Amino acid sequence: MKSFVFAVIAAFAIAAVAGFALNSVQKPSDEAYSTQGVRL
Amino acid sequence: MAKLFAQVRYLVGAFAFALLVVAALPASAQQPSQVNPTASSVKEQQLLNALQSGGSVSGRVSIPDQKSGTLIQPGGRDWRQFHEVTLRWIGGISVLGMLILLVVFYLTRGQVKLESGYSGRRIVRFNGFERFVHWMTASCFIVLALSGLNITFGKSLLLPLIGEGAFAAWSQIAKYAHNYLSFPFSIGVVVIFLMWIGGNIPNKVDIEWAKRGGGLVGHDHPPAYRFNGGQKLIYWIVVIGGGLVATTGYLLMFPFYTTGMQGMQFAQTIHAVVAVLFVAAMLAHIYIGTIGMEGAFDAMGEGTVDENWAREHHALWLEQERARGSETHGRPMATPAE
Repeated sequence: MKSFVFAVIAAFAIAAVAGFALNSVQKPSDEAYSTQGVRL
Repeated sequence: MAKLFAQVRYLVGAFAFALLVVAALPASAQQPSQVNPTASSVKEQQLLNALQSGGSVSGRVSIPDQKSGTLIQPGGRDWRQFHEVTLRWIGGISVLGMLILLVVFYLTRGQVKLESGYSGRRIVRFNGFERFVHWMTASCFIVLALSGLNITFGKSLLLPLIGEGAFAAWSQIAKYAHNYLSFPFSIGVVVIFLMWIGGNIPNKVDIEWAKRGGGLVGHDHPPAYRFNGGQKLIYWIVVIGGGLVATTGYLLMFPFYTTGMQGMQFAQTIHAVVAVLFVAAMLAHIYIGTIGMEGAFDAMGEGTVDENWAREHHALWLEQERARGSETHGRPMATPAE
């Protein structure tokens, strides 16, 4: 049981680090695929 | 004199007309290309030829996403047909089929009982690190499976039940969980590969084990080392299947970093098919590790198994452990697994 609890905590910790890294590397699609200017 | 002047005037006029005609000739020769400078890109046969060879027809766009200039990509229709229709059939048949098979098996065969009863002596089956890695991978897999199945089946099964707002919120959470938990899952698969590769190389004992029904048919108990043929099969499904879903998953998570549109569609196809088959296989693994076999859950639950359980299901491993001088503990089992 103890190993299960540690495993879940570790999974969340790694996922949190991965999420932070992903969010710092990747941009939302509305930023990544749009221009600075707007043509009306 | 007047006649001569008239003739000269006629000649000058004819010469001027000839000059005019010569000067006009090049202009008339260039006329077709000036009228239609893009003729080569609008010939229908050329477009059809490009599409038939699996390519696409693209134009130019002024926004950063140059892929949005793709006008026609027939492979996209095939891919849509796959993930909207074919994948649902593959997933439905494999996952539901496995569930039905397990229910039928349980109702006909019942739980594989510990026939010699509990001895009260325990032997260590998996140490703390092994159980930690197993549970980290397993808990991530459950979330990944549920959130992944939501992508394929959620729109048609869950959306009508919970409504658009709740489905959108759940799907967004599920999508982030799917992305983020893929990292501890991938780490777990790699560690599992390295940690248990030594005991999971197929050998002759596995063939004999399979021929005798793996202990699932009748009351036979074919001998096995630490991992029997079925467990080795699960191991390689986890390693190969997990490796494939992880690799293709990261291709999808980092879109167009290393591949184009067709590569993305191919990666999604592999990811989805392997994933639903993976889920079906893990259902069988969960079944036999819990309600399918008496005493099996203790191996991963508390790390030890009853000596009689080891003798019935992993007799060769028990002999090895005794030869190595491993001690059994006289602690009686608190709660026999059901």
